[in-house]
Amino acid sequence: MKKKPLPALITVIDIGTHKTVALVGQVINGKARMLSFSERRTDGVVKGTVVDLDKLHASVHEVVNDLERVTQRAVHEIYLSIAGPSVEGERVKGFVAVPAHDGKVTPRDLAEAIASAKRLEPPQGRMTMLYMRQPTLLDGRAVANPVGLQGKRLEVNFWRITMEEGNVRFRVSMVNGMSMHVREFILASHAAACAVVNDTERQGGVMVIDVGAGTTDWILYYKGHILCAGSIPVGGEHVTNDLSVALRISRDTAEDLKLRFASALHRPTDLNQTIWKDGNQGVGDQQFNRGTITQVTSLRFQEIIEFVRKDVVRNLEQIFPGHAVKFDQNFLPSGAILTGGTANLADAVEATQTVLGLPARIGQTQFDTEALRKPEYAGVVGMMVAAIEDAPPVVRRPRGTFDWLRDLFRF
Amino acid sequence: MSNPAPILLVGLGGAGCSIVGRLAPALPQEVKVALIDTDATTLQNLENAEVLQIGRALTRGMGTGGEPAVGLTALEADEPQLRRILNAYPLVVLVAGLGGGTAGGAAASFAAMATEAGATVLAFATIPFSHEGERRKRQASEALTKLAAKAHGLVVVENDLLLMQVPADAPLSASFAAADEWVAGSIRALASAFMPGALVPVDSASVRSILSQVGSPTLFTCGHGEGPDAAKLAARAACESSLSYGLGTTAKVGSLFVHVAGGEKLSATEAFEVVNMVRAKFGGEVTTLVGARIKPELGDRVEVAVLGASLPPPPKPKPKGKAGKGGKVVDDQQQIFGFATEESIRRGLFGSTPFTFIDGADVDVPTYIRKSIRLATGP
Repeated sequence: MKKKPLPALITVIDIGTHKTVALVGQVINGKARMLSFSERRTDGVVKGTVVDLDKLHASVHEVVNDLERVTQRAVHEIYLSIAGPSVEGERVKGFVAVPAHDGKVTPRDLAEAIASAKRLEPPQGRMTMLYMRQPTLLDGRAVANPVGLQGKRLEVNFWRITMEEGNVRFRVSMVNGMSMHVREFILASHAAACAVVNDTERQGGVMVIDVGAGTTDWILYYKGHILCAGSIPVGGEHVTNDLSVALRISRDTAEDLKLRFASALHRPTDLNQTIWKDGNQGVGDQQFNRGTITQVTSLRFQEIIEFVRKDVVRNLEQIFPGHAVKFDQNFLPSGAILTGGTANLADAVEATQTVLGLPARIGQTQFDTEALRKPEYAGVVGMMVAAIEDAPPVVRRPRGTFDWLRDLFRF
Repeated sequence: MSNPAPILLVGLGGAGCSIVGRLAPALPQEVKVALIDTDATTLQNLENAEVLQIGRALTRGMGTGGEPAVGLTALEADEPQLRRILNAYPLVVLVAGLGGGTAGGAAASFAAMATEAGATVLAFATIPFSHEGERRKRQASEALTKLAAKAHGLVVVENDLLLMQVPADAPLSASFAAADEWVAGSIRALASAFMPGALVPVDSASVRSILSQVGSPTLFTCGHGEGPDAAKLAARAACESSLSYGLGTTAKVGSLFVHVAGGEKLSATEAFEVVNMVRAKFGGEVTTLVGARIKPELGDRVEVAVLGASLPPPPKPKPKGKAGKGGKVVDDQQQIFGFATEESIRRGLFGSTPFTFIDGADVDVPTYIRKSIRLATGP
């Protein structure tokens, strides 16, 4: 594969339900130096779905302005994250019978197998966004690089990510409208994983759960490759909503109480604590029982993780039909890693361990800026890592908005 | 008025009859009781109660099987008897469980019939538990919309919310007793208003004037308190009761009827303090009626019941309601006063967004409501 020198600057933008975060990094010796960072409240997105394009446009535009102001350079191309319920993944396979007289796999065989895997069209109205590599099998054995090895039957596997066509179209046109183009889409959960998971863990088996504001995205790695990924349209906003319904308070108050007093576990001792809404005990201050708050939030958080568990099990049943793959620590020795803003909820780790029956931890990004070592920034930091790691192929300027999208096939 | 009993309490359908049946022995003389159902087995023989089995030819004494259409036909078939029962009561209180067939189909027509007979109709409607299934829920919300247009006042009792009011380990009978208490509180307060010997008496016509128009958004809440600060505690309990359905913190009603009952120690000052607290919370700018009563048996306990209503919103020149999910017209005014659209109260901030279904449940509804988990009480 041809390699082109990376551009001097890499810009990644992660548009979330709650906030839009962007980073500009300069790549020196394979490491990115952060030049600029911007974070703005996202408007016009509810539950991971865009409802008001103008508002969203304004939010993203502010972020881009911030970046350009600090870096003093125009941003021309960006990496954009994709996540949420409109993103779907599935496994695609390609076979080739190795024809050569000596039974050795040639690069051409491999290319043919890949082409056959990618020949399968996505369903009507959906667009292929990414192909992520899964194990290549030579006569049923997993091999890292089959070229030059002996074998009869070569099988390549990809995790194909598709998205609703309309959803892609407006993202691209929004970015194009700001005189930039999308160099590449990155799956948000994969990005988060890039920031918080190392290769050893990925080799053994690990899952990353990115609990965002509007959606919860998960991704599962097994034997070094992505095995499956999914998304659930429930997130931190639902925790806030539950609180505001249960206590009959406004959204902002609920958000504030969530940050200060909520927990993913309900302990009977919480019932003995009474907390004040504002803390100054002045006019308009209200008292609440902390037990009520933790009860509401723990039920919701544990349910989110339970939804993830069900979704994973459903996916595993499709991938290993007939085999009863147990979703336990033997299967995923490194357990679950939580990222996203909602991972900051107190006791989130313990609750996740209980629900999944797996070891769990909060994903800490290894970033040199202290402020970005929080689970909510795993996504954007990971995008930077993924953008560098990806060794991008030659990208032509798009002839049309969509032609280049079809050229994104790579692995 | 020559009629000895100015209030007629009607239980319609299985759930309504069972609530009224349990309530009847504890009611004062001033309340006349009537039970109406298609199912012969639910109609108990109560003393002093009118019992009417409707649609006997249609269902042969069985229930409607959950079909609202059957309930409606049954009611229409026995219209003359109903009119005889309804004759000459100034106030008719209708209790109906809207999930079933009899009440779901017939409640609105019954309210219309009573209105024609010259009565003021206050309806208590219970909404089925969410685990009773989507069909009953949908039937109930359709029936509720119809009933709201026919009754003078409509108080909605959410079974789901009721369940959260009782301790988790409470026996089944206790949770139903909670529902009874809620309805009984109001009826007792209304009956007291007509009884002679009140500390601050009100006459029946003025209570009727509160619910003067058909389709008024209605507020009902009650609470009680004990101890030295009983009056304040009771007023606070009434203001903050989670069952005071769907009323936002700023929503106010035009007319209020506040009834305070207490032991011998209850002073007029305390009673008016309660009224002030209630007014501060719920408004009552147009009229506020106060009823107070000394009941020696209450001791240091104080009970507060609040009934309020606004004039129905004037008909708009062109319907401004947003078309909600499934083309249903959502009226903003009604949402404020909580005519029990499920979406408005349960989905909270996600009220107007599309539903999100996972495993057949709308996950935007808080988890604790869907799982019917009772929350710990306030501070």
